[in-house]
Amino acid sequence: MERLKRISLKTASFILLTIIALLVIVPLAWMALSAFKEEKEILSFPPTFFTHSFTLKNFANTAKRIKIIKYIANSVIYAGVTTALAVVVNSMAGYAYARKKFKGKGIFFITTLATMMIPFQVIMVPTFLVVYKLGMYNTYWGLIIPRVAVPGSIFLMRAAFAGLPVELEDAARIDGLSEWGIFWRIMLPQVRSSAICLIILSINGSWNDLLWPMIVASDTSMRTLSNGLALFVGQNSIQYGASFAGALISIAPMFVLYIFGQKYFVEGMASSGLKG
Amino acid sequence: MDSKTTRKDNMFIRICRYFRSAEGSAYYFILPSILLLLIFNVIPLFVSSSMSFFDANMTLDKVNYVGIDNFVKAFSDSRFLNSLKVTFIFTAIEVPVQVFGAMIIAALIAKNNITNKFFRAIYFLPVICSATSIGIMWKMILHSNVGFLTYALSSMGLGRINFFNNTHLTIFVVTFISIWRSFGISAIVYVTAIQNVNASLYEAAKMDGAGNLRQFINVTVPSIRPTFWYILMTRLAGSLQIFDIVFMTTGGGPNYTTESTVSYVYSRAFSSEASMGYASTMSMILFVIIMTVTVLLYRRMNAEER
Repeated sequence: MERLKRISLKTASFILLTIIALLVIVPLAWMALSAFKEEKEILSFPPTFFTHSFTLKNFANTAKRIKIIKYIANSVIYAGVTTALAVVVNSMAGYAYARKKFKGKGIFFITTLATMMIPFQVIMVPTFLVVYKLGMYNTYWGLIIPRVAVPGSIFLMRAAFAGLPVELEDAARIDGLSEWGIFWRIMLPQVRSSAICLIILSINGSWNDLLWPMIVASDTSMRTLSNGLALFVGQNSIQYGASFAGALISIAPMFVLYIFGQKYFVEGMASSGLKG
Repeated sequence: MDSKTTRKDNMFIRICRYFRSAEGSAYYFILPSILLLLIFNVIPLFVSSSMSFFDANMTLDKVNYVGIDNFVKAFSDSRFLNSLKVTFIFTAIEVPVQVFGAMIIAALIAKNNITNKFFRAIYFLPVICSATSIGIMWKMILHSNVGFLTYALSSMGLGRINFFNNTHLTIFVVTFISIWRSFGISAIVYVTAIQNVNASLYEAAKMDGAGNLRQFINVTVPSIRPTFWYILMTRLAGSLQIFDIVFMTTGGGPNYTTESTVSYVYSRAFSSEASMGYASTMSMILFVIIMTVTVLLYRRMNAEER
């Protein structure tokens, strides 16, 4: 009796988990398959699940309707440069807070902590004004610079650096390395896995970012894939095949990143509370 | 003269040396992040709070002091009040699902075996996708003419439902998509917490003859309390700022029934009727709401953890 109950509970939970998994995977698969369907098949009723009329026309169509190559390039620049700067800037701060004693450390640290509580959506209007007044509206720097320092990343790196032994630093200091050399050549390589977490989350976050690029990069030649595509879909004469193709192009690189870096995604989000 | 220059030089050398020392170098290590956070986070917050008392256009060419007029205007602006209501409905549905639903699911997939790892990998997938692509996808799945799900439901005899153009239903559709998108984060964070629970606690519970359910209630739930509070607070703050999914699916329609506060702020700040002062005022009201809720929860958490 007891065993029977356990087995039926297990089956019930398995069914529940499978239903949720299907709820996630079926829509994504349907979208991916639809990106290769002729417009006629997409618009047919009843709709098809598998691709009957395989075509690459949708991708060509996307390129014809919007500057998709330019958008992708912009997204790569935005995600790439933001991430490169973020790793350096946030690791530096995390390193100092974890391993150095200095006057005012408490104040600086609490300020950093407090900025974590400021929701971006609340300050988006004045942040836009700051960028505008600095003459960075519709420029890459305007897009990138305000997104570099992230308190969550500073905490992630601080925790990583705090776990390293003191001997490491002392040995390097005896060898005559500068403070920067100790940080860059000795300490940072030791916290590689946390740095990779930061890199992956930062790439994912900026690649998918919608609101900030929409505010600060409104010029057609400045749009990122995420916001360019969003504005394209918002237009009246919507082309379904082209939208699917665009969406697939937007997801594909992140999917590849996820396959290779699943561990880092999970670790990073669980330990820093950063949401992509 | 000579000695003065030397002293000056000495001073300079000493400063240089200090900033190269283990202690002094800390300042240049934190300088970039402090500067950036100050310019793009702290100053905007103060600008935002002071701008609520002004009337300003997008380029700040015309700025007039209006006192508390903007606040008075906000609380008599039915579109703003409606946006608060919409935001609260989103939050009231999304937060419990994320906080409790994800906890239960996480408990089911916490054990490390192949099937569970597979489920975890799948549940996390939407988290990495852009809101843009998720919006496009669900808009098509629920499309009133050619949608996959619309077809499935109509073939079950439920008729063709117009998911995105129904003043009662659409808000729940948008909420569902929002949950679909970020459920994976909450679940994975819970899984990590559950895996860190001391295994001997389960052993002890088993010795006392506790079954799976008893173990979950008596061991798992109390052990992952900090994670529970963490998810509750972050989800709450996140839900109160919902924007992306609304923008991608309905744009606030039909008839403003899905327009969240941030959506309204966005349209007041960055559209033709741009009013930076009024948008800041509404942002500040939202900020006060988010902070109040967070502080109350934080105090409750501290009281309980003691």
